[in-house]
Amino acid sequence: MTRLPGGLIDRDRTVTFRFDGRRYLGHPGDTLASALLANNVRLVGRSFKYHRPRGVFSAGSEEPNAMVELRSGARQEPNTRATTIELFEGLTAKSQNRWPALGFDVLGVNDLFSPFFAAGFYYKTFMWPKAFWEKLYEPAIRKAAGLGSLSMEPDPDAYDKGFLHCDLLVIGGGAAGLAAALTAARTGARVILADEDFRLGGRLLAETHTLDDAPATRWLSEVEGELESLPNLRILRRTTVFGAFDHGIYGAVERVADHLPQPDTVRQTLWRITAKRAILATGATERHIPFANNDRPGIMLGGALRAYANRWAVSPAHRVAIFTSTDDGYRTARDLAAKGVQIAGVIDPRPEPRSTGDFPIFPGAVVTNTIGRLGLRHVEIRQGDQTHWLECGALGVSGGWNPNVHLMSHHRGRPVWSDAHLAFLPGAGGPAGLIPAGAANGKGTVHGALQSGAAAAEQAMADLGRDAGLPDLPQADDSPATQTALWHVPGTARAWVDFQNDVTVKDIKLAHQENMTPVEHLKRWTTLGMATDQGKTANVTALAVMSELTGKPIPETGTTIFRPPYTPVSLSVLGGGNTGPEFRPRRLTPTHTWAEARGAVFVEVGQWMRAQYFPQPGETHWRETVDREVLATRAGVGLCDVTTLGKIDVQGADAAEFINRIYCNGFKTLKTGMVRYGLMLREDGMAFDDGTCARMADDQFVVTTTTAQAGAVYRHMEFARQCLWPELDVQLISTTDAWAQLSIAGPKARMLLERVIDAHDTSNEAFPFMSCAPVTVCGGLRARLFRISFSGELAYELAVPARYGAALMARLVDLGKDLGATPYGTEALGVLRIEKGHAAGNELNGQTTAQMLGMGRMVSAKKDSIGAVMSRRAGLVADTRVLVGLQAVDPETPVVAGAHLFETDAAQTTQSDLGWITSACHSPHLGCAIGLGYLTGGADRMGTEIIAANPLEGQSTRVRVVSPHFIDPEGGRLRD
Amino acid sequence: MTDLTPITALGAAGPRIARLGALTLSERPDVALASLALRRDAAEPSPMGLTLPGPGGLVQEGDYFAFWSAPGQWMIGAKDAAQTDFAATLSQEAPGCSVTEQTDGWVVIDISTTKGTLHPLLEKLVNIDVAHCHSNGAFRTGIEHLGVFVLCRNAADVTVLGMRSAAGSLWHALETAAARAAAGENR
Repeated sequence: MTRLPGGLIDRDRTVTFRFDGRRYLGHPGDTLASALLANNVRLVGRSFKYHRPRGVFSAGSEEPNAMVELRSGARQEPNTRATTIELFEGLTAKSQNRWPALGFDVLGVNDLFSPFFAAGFYYKTFMWPKAFWEKLYEPAIRKAAGLGSLSMEPDPDAYDKGFLHCDLLVIGGGAAGLAAALTAARTGARVILADEDFRLGGRLLAETHTLDDAPATRWLSEVEGELESLPNLRILRRTTVFGAFDHGIYGAVERVADHLPQPDTVRQTLWRITAKRAILATGATERHIPFANNDRPGIMLGGALRAYANRWAVSPAHRVAIFTSTDDGYRTARDLAAKGVQIAGVIDPRPEPRSTGDFPIFPGAVVTNTIGRLGLRHVEIRQGDQTHWLECGALGVSGGWNPNVHLMSHHRGRPVWSDAHLAFLPGAGGPAGLIPAGAANGKGTVHGALQSGAAAAEQAMADLGRDAGLPDLPQADDSPATQTALWHVPGTARAWVDFQNDVTVKDIKLAHQENMTPVEHLKRWTTLGMATDQGKTANVTALAVMSELTGKPIPETGTTIFRPPYTPVSLSVLGGGNTGPEFRPRRLTPTHTWAEARGAVFVEVGQWMRAQYFPQPGETHWRETVDREVLATRAGVGLCDVTTLGKIDVQGADAAEFINRIYCNGFKTLKTGMVRYGLMLREDGMAFDDGTCARMADDQFVVTTTTAQAGAVYRHMEFARQCLWPELDVQLISTTDAWAQLSIAGPKARMLLERVIDAHDTSNEAFPFMSCAPVTVCGGLRARLFRISFSGELAYELAVPARYGAALMARLVDLGKDLGATPYGTEALGVLRIEKGHAAGNELNGQTTAQMLGMGRMVSAKKDSIGAVMSRRAGLVADTRVLVGLQAVDPETPVVAGAHLFETDAAQTTQSDLGWITSACHSPHLGCAIGLGYLTGGADRMGTEIIAANPLEGQSTRVRVVSPHFIDPEGGRLRD
Repeated sequence: MTDLTPITALGAAGPRIARLGALTLSERPDVALASLALRRDAAEPSPMGLTLPGPGGLVQEGDYFAFWSAPGQWMIGAKDAAQTDFAATLSQEAPGCSVTEQTDGWVVIDISTTKGTLHPLLEKLVNIDVAHCHSNGAFRTGIEHLGVFVLCRNAADVTVLGMRSAAGSLWHALETAAARAAAGENR
């Protein structure tokens, strides 16, 4: 290792790591980038398009070049910035986008063909033949151009999320952020200080500034100590605030365990931080100056060179040159020289040197070219009319600083150009309550950052009614760095602007030539700023180059704006980490454990897991099982858990009036102890949902809904109660989960019911069809009994408190053995209701009317109800589509839901479409396939034959139009 | 007395309990619940001697508790009363009000800690300002896409009410967070 003196690394300990299979040593406190540089590794990766050799360019999250595949196996993470990876014992990393090796990359040949890969080449090339794009061109381009690779294995790590609330969120832990946090926290306000680095201090860690004539680290240590001691302040290290969202909510990712070989618990946590106020103290990013071949390993940002020397005690080369259009470059030269690095020269385009030092200075000069295939060896300098080569292993480039205004743009706030700063500063229209401070607001000196941070906190606290007062801040450097605008060095060779996406000044010129001058077009034509770094080191420079080309000032050329995330966020942490069966919540019915024990096959119905069918030994196909369940129900008695249907308790003096307005059919005459089928319409007159409504008492109803619409109907009813008719005395509450509701259906249903019910007359006379009553079962358990039928058979629904649902089901099966009691699932339930012609979710799809359902006359004209008037619209009334039954002419031919209906001799086109099949099944009762569907002129087509076409499967089935009531059309069975 | 054997919301004969470091999660199938809603012009009752709380409020008195759930609406709870017809009992205590049985509409899970507060756990679970979760606070919020009530009895004891049918998913969410919090205690 080659180390300089000083630094903030722990030299007493070493850390072993591997890069491209080779073993290296570093120290705690290193990043992968600093450790590689300390091991004289300058070549780290290959560029996106041209496979140009690339090295470390920056010292922070703005890094465009040093992207690696971190870790191995399932934990392999592509496109990870070496500059932000905290070194840990056993770290392994690989370079990416190269083959077979980093030093010799076959696809480096792309560089020779660069004239063909100019801006917009995707749009101009590969146009013919069209069919080649998907199979040949795109895969080939994706293979040749790109970044890292995925392991294709499931992510083994756990991810977490959380919610934090505070008075003030301070984003950034540099000089401004620390001053802000200190100022606010001393008032007792609840403060969160978040910083993406693993160590607080920001640029103070990278500089040799003194505060009160002492090293900055002493002040940092004191402040950190105080902040740590304050119970009202929380420090989130390794945490990137990546986005500002609505209502003062900020998204942040805490990298809990990315600095460890393997997570103890979670790898990362996604925090949603709700802050009354926030301070943007995110500092600034240095910009480079494009010149010919400015992308070689060893060419870096000047501030990064300084950071590596001061914080990590490392220099990428023993002999270093500086190319700077600001005074900042001289600071770099001085700091490096003080550490023993040989300064080959400071190249300054300004005519007069801005500083002196024990190193050569080339005023009025620019860098015009470089050489060094895998690492910088020489730079070419043009000074006046003279050019000469200067030997150096690294070049620091300083073209000024761009404030990190990103989060201020997240609500479409446009940054404002400042001629004084030669940079965009935060403008108006940013997120409410977000106050910029420090270098992010153009206050780039240490003194300016400290003062503006404290002032921003004072303002934030004043907004919240707290009197902060400025703290005593240390004396610090306040000398501004003067600069001149040098956006690029003109030349004929390629000069890179966006390193990560390989966009050059030439590309921008070509975009201008092709009239892609608006920033948005420039971006998409060249892909500038569209890489994982979002063009942090490129956007403003590109804008300036375009400004030069158009002859318009920068503000008129356009502004650059940013969207979340500030830096890449893994999908795993956004997703929250739940996978497999826990991916989303599951709702289980009260009889789930019982059904599971009986070997039921389950099906997802929304969030519910419902028993689909109950296979018996010897049954080899689900149809066999379902047919058995259906036939057993029609012959004896079937049992089904129907708890999932929504249940809403409606009470109040005006409950009857409310029900009457909600349903389109009349309810005022419904007597206590009786149930009525009800149809709800939407405001637009279309059918919304159906179900039954039981009047349990004069002022109490139980409304049932379909499973799918349970939540929507409850919301609809609450809206009507609270907003449409607040004058009505009505109270609503869902009881869906409270009661286990079991259907007992079949000719022997009453016999079975009588075996569990306590002293209640269930005779047809005492408890006729559509009755309801509170009862007790199995020795006094409170229950509710409804005589309603979905199957067309004599049927009851019996509700008990949910905790007894499984036991009641088991009891019914046990007591009904001699009656052939058979549990059935949703498949049989569907067959039974299709045979009976009952509409369900498939028929109530939001596009159907009461008239189409054959219930047009149910919409009462004697009263007003939601949707009633709109249901009488001419367009709806004129619709002749109506629900019909469809029976396969050939019993062996399937009928498929979704098939469209046509005349037998008509062309099967949209124009000749007569309707569609909503539900279909095999009817064991009829021994053939049947379906329900909406058919134009259906009422007049009874008995005719039509075609059900399923073009997806190439099926064309002849079906007969029949009544939708395939069984017992008179309804005698359910009334007996 | 019925001879049917009940099961808990988590599908077992007895309540589930998990101890994770200083944290304990306990399913509470014994808690009876009923909703109480004021009818028009009805006087606010004091069922079981409880003074019904305002928005966000929770009151506890002996074996009974009540929390505000909506304007003019509360959930009333009673320990060791799930086997009784608690709604009927409450109706007698609140004449003229709408009362609806809710006992088996919910899974009730107590979370407690013997060390410090539950704030570190809660901030991983619910989007509420945990600084306000000290005592007698009731929050209607969400955990892992599930609507829940979070009752802060004190900083170290919280009760979560979630819909019974999703008890397994809710328990998984709570247990996962608690396990991670417990692992954090040991670091």
